[in-house]
Amino acid sequence: MLKATLRSFLAHKGRLALSMLAVVLSVAFVAGTLMFTDTIGSTFDRLFRSTSADVSITAHNDVAGRNDQNFSGTVPTVPASLIPQVAHIPGVAGVSGRVAMAGIVLTDAKNKDIGAIGGAPTIGINWSPGPNSPVDLTSGVAPSGDGQAVVDADTVSKHHLVLGQQLHVIGATGGFPVRLSGIATFNTTNPGATLVFLDTATAQRKLLGHDGVFTSVDLTAAKGVSNEQLRDRVAPVVGSAYDVKTAEQTAKDAAQTLGTFLSVIKDALLGFAGIAVLVGVSLILNTFSMLVAQRTRELGLMRALGASREQVNRSVLVEAALLGLIGSTLGLFLGVGLALGLIKLIARGGMVLKGSQLAVHWPTVVAAYAVGIIATTVSAYLPARRASRISPMAALREADTPGRGAPLRIRAVVGLVVLAVSAGLLVGAATDKDLGQAGILLGAGVLLSLVGLIIVGPVLATPVIRLVGGWFPRVFGPVGTLSQRNALRNPRRTSATASALMIGLALVASLSVVGSSMAASFDAQIDKTIGADLIVQNSTGLPFPDEVADTVQATPGVGLVVRGQGTRGALVAADGTQDRTVVVGTGPGLDKVVRIEMRSGTVAAGTAPGHAMIGSNYADAHRLHLGSPVTILFQSGKAGTLTVGGIDVTDTNPGGLADEPVVASSTLRQYVPGALDDIVFVNVAPGASKEQVKSALTTALAKDPQVQVRDQTDYKKLVRGQIDLLLNLVYGLLALAIIIAILGVVNTLALSVIERTREIGLLRAIGLGRAQLRRMVRLEAVVIALFGAVLGLGLGLGWGLAAQRLLAAKGLQSLAIPWSTIIAVVIGAAVVGLLAALGPALRASRLDVLDAIAHE
Amino acid sequence: MAASGQPAARAVGLSKAYGSGDTAVLALDHVDVEIDGGRFTAIMGPSGSGKSTLMHCLAGLDKPTGGEVWVGDTELSRLGDKALTRLRRDRVGFVFQAFNLLPTLTAEENITLPGDIAGRRTDPAWLRQVVETLNLGDRLRHRPHELSGGQQQRVAVARALAARPQLIFADEPTGNLDSRSGAEVLGFLRRSVDELGQTVVMVTHDPNAASFADLVLFLADGRIVDRLEGPTADAVLERMRRFDVRGGGPVAQPAPDAD
Ligand SMILES: Nc1ncnc2c1ncn2[C@@H]1O[C@H](COP(=O)(O)OP(=O)(O)OP(=O)(O)O)[C@@H](O)[C@H]1O
Ligand SMILES: [Mg+2]
Repeated sequence: MLKATLRSFLAHKGRLALSMLAVVLSVAFVAGTLMFTDTIGSTFDRLFRSTSADVSITAHNDVAGRNDQNFSGTVPTVPASLIPQVAHIPGVAGVSGRVAMAGIVLTDAKNKDIGAIGGAPTIGINWSPGPNSPVDLTSGVAPSGDGQAVVDADTVSKHHLVLGQQLHVIGATGGFPVRLSGIATFNTTNPGATLVFLDTATAQRKLLGHDGVFTSVDLTAAKGVSNEQLRDRVAPVVGSAYDVKTAEQTAKDAAQTLGTFLSVIKDALLGFAGIAVLVGVSLILNTFSMLVAQRTRELGLMRALGASREQVNRSVLVEAALLGLIGSTLGLFLGVGLALGLIKLIARGGMVLKGSQLAVHWPTVVAAYAVGIIATTVSAYLPARRASRISPMAALREADTPGRGAPLRIRAVVGLVVLAVSAGLLVGAATDKDLGQAGILLGAGVLLSLVGLIIVGPVLATPVIRLVGGWFPRVFGPVGTLSQRNALRNPRRTSATASALMIGLALVASLSVVGSSMAASFDAQIDKTIGADLIVQNSTGLPFPDEVADTVQATPGVGLVVRGQGTRGALVAADGTQDRTVVVGTGPGLDKVVRIEMRSGTVAAGTAPGHAMIGSNYADAHRLHLGSPVTILFQSGKAGTLTVGGIDVTDTNPGGLADEPVVASSTLRQYVPGALDDIVFVNVAPGASKEQVKSALTTALAKDPQVQVRDQTDYKKLVRGQIDLLLNLVYGLLALAIIIAILGVVNTLALSVIERTREIGLLRAIGLGRAQLRRMVRLEAVVIALFGAVLGLGLGLGWGLAAQRLLAAKGLQSLAIPWSTIIAVVIGAAVVGLLAALGPALRASRLDVLDAIAHE
Repeated sequence: MAASGQPAARAVGLSKAYGSGDTAVLALDHVDVEIDGGRFTAIMGPSGSGKSTLMHCLAGLDKPTGGEVWVGDTELSRLGDKALTRLRRDRVGFVFQAFNLLPTLTAEENITLPGDIAGRRTDPAWLRQVVETLNLGDRLRHRPHELSGGQQQRVAVARALAARPQLIFADEPTGNLDSRSGAEVLGFLRRSVDELGQTVVMVTHDPNAASFADLVLFLADGRIVDRLEGPTADAVLERMRRFDVRGGGPVAQPAPDAD
């Protein structure tokens, strides 16, 4: 019996190749995404570990982030005087002061930004060679004096920089020219950050604004002293004003702060790996159920000849396990190729990973084999069990009867129940006030609705295909009729084939709904809230030196100028609880450039010195009224009690303001000295033309390349551009799933063609031309793809709608359905069908008529 | 019956070999044959003697390895795939030994399929007549798997007749039928020859079926070894016995009785 199994296994090379392809592709998809995700993780882990000192001392600050210039332009520092204090502690082998400032801008002589892209930071660092330095100087000399800088080799080669070249470094406090004195090469993989090394004095003065301070003091532990031991000895010496952390803690913190964007990528990729498993398993399941259906006659014959039910089952299982094993192994290798391809792809987005450091962890291997072997054996077993249950004669007859299988009634009932539950969850998600809970509901609803639709898919196949393919017979005559009937002959198979496509398209549709709703909401928000004619802002949101506002003020045609600052801080309630927030500083006239709906008081009174304007939600929660005192903890660590001068309506106030308190710039600077502007609102003077003022400002600000002048239209474009970029990235990843889905359609069609060889021979014998035959196969593919598209779009729109309702509270108030994308998806699906049919159609049309008729 | 002037199909020195070298099988060995228009020709012979192969070659379904095949005044060896497709579609009807129908189409759709493919409407009056004669009236909306083997075969015959091709080839059309419905099908083929001038070629193992024909050709080892005009069942049986004695291949069991 086993011999017979292997014989039949090898006898049908075509079937074998196609089912193997299904296994290989799905395993490759799963393994590839896992490897890629792991590689990102391990690259950053290595980087953080290599850049962390054994023990480091930083200023303790509850509200401010470390190395984080995003707010106010000031960072907490450690005085150099701390170094001698800790140097003599036993177990300290070395001490050095470190300056590291993320968020600076590096430009070439023409003011073109050459810093990191795609979310990676541009970091200014003091040059301090030593065992903890993540880089080695590989050419030129170390920077000395305030006119020199060393830049990392990746940035140098990407922008073809040469030694001695003039560059520009722009920190929060202003820009300064440097010459490239040397090139530093990472001794681990630099995943895309741009590093600019300055000598220590320059770094302190230009990046931190003060001599004699560091962002951290780094200690090296002596031999025999563990990092933890050293930390415990240092901590009491420096006192509670400083945080003392081991390398492990620092790396963890770094991974956490720098890694929020990383974890988003990781989660997204794992999501895609999950989709990969789903799509892969459905592909394998489908292929195998077809194979066994085809083999039903063969199995029936074996049973007729006396093989037992168990023998038949076992032979199928052995065959499947064998196939799964070989397929998974091949898939694992293909997965490596896929991961390398992804690494190349993401390099274009600015994240550099090294193919030689590809991480192949054992869970990846286990997952690959689990998906390959388990999915294959289960997929093979289910239909085989059915085949072995029916009588041998029925099996012998069965191969020719279309539309077989149990009635779909149970399926319809179960599927509808699941769908109803998932719809309930989605509605719940859309209406739930608690965001976290709504998110969970949404996730469960999405998953359940997917499962539900996969279950009812075969039930929907008949009506939907009648609908989308209903015009085929009229337009394409009997060829149209045949292709439509072929698509309908086995609804289970048709819907399984379409389901992979459905998943991919559902995601595309839902994300495009969320994306365009985001853009539309932002548009509406901009229209509703921004009153300023022009806004000057750093494209990265970083603050900029005061000269910018001075330049703006001095430009002809400029009327009102309102400067804004954002700092970290917290609202402190009467019982001492802190709500961390952003504290906004503003010059006079905020209400003339931003439209703010007030509950009570006025913007002017709220932003008068010594006063604060707070949001209505916070005011209600803490029973604050006009004239109440409100305590704010500022980023510097100082707290101040101000008087409530205005309460704005939280839910309608400008996006981003949420419950943030707004105070006068002068008040802010009392607590946060040196807080820098991060936005300048400009109204043009009466009689001046907005366009002219805009171009005058652009020219005047050319020396400050980090800031841009924008009007409302520019803002909308900017936001749309960012959303499109994000969507395209996601679509790119989904393209993988869609490619697998296409291959699934190819596979199904190819097997159908083999399965229907005799029919094809007959059709040719009674006069169907080759071209007509090809068209028949193509139309069948198109109708299956359209079926997948209809289901996927329906599902995706539902998801998108629920997500938009859920996020409405978060500012996603407008619902926009991107009809152009949806139409493109439908057309794309038809094209996918045509593409998928190319090979199978050709094969069908090349069959020899008589061979085909004689085919068993 | 008198033959009309020109043969509907003919083969000149027709050979067909399968495989090559030691394993080569010569299924047809320089066969010369004329199929007269407007007549009913039966082909008989032992299993493996080349009957099906001969019909396939005459119908343009298979390429001979030697000699010429003419349908009307068209020589088939020079035709490309498109022309052969058109020939099969417009001029020839074929009933196979088994598996004749498309499982996704109803009986009626199967019957009108050649016309539909060609973009012609099947004459409804003729269709009704064909369907009535073959006793298919109440089965037209059924799919093939809902029909018995004999009913399926009758649908296949109806399909061959419905398009009114010049030539109808039928490979053991009554093989799966009981003697009564077999006789009905044969009677219908007979009438279509007599009343409509249709040309029919049929392979059969059954002397009773052969007796419906005007002419029986006997095939053995790829050659035409005998012919019998105006056959009766007894005469055919007699000839077949003679073969057996002369050492031809095994002859299929004749059907026990028929009227
Ligand atoms: N595709 C093929 N490949 C090789 N040999 C073939 C092929 N088709 C037919 N033959 C051989 O050609 C010879 C004639 O076959 P053919 O099918 O014409 O016989 P037949 O007279 O129709 O027999 P039956 O009464 O059993 O249907 C046989 O010996 C057969 O084995
Ligand atoms: Mg035969």
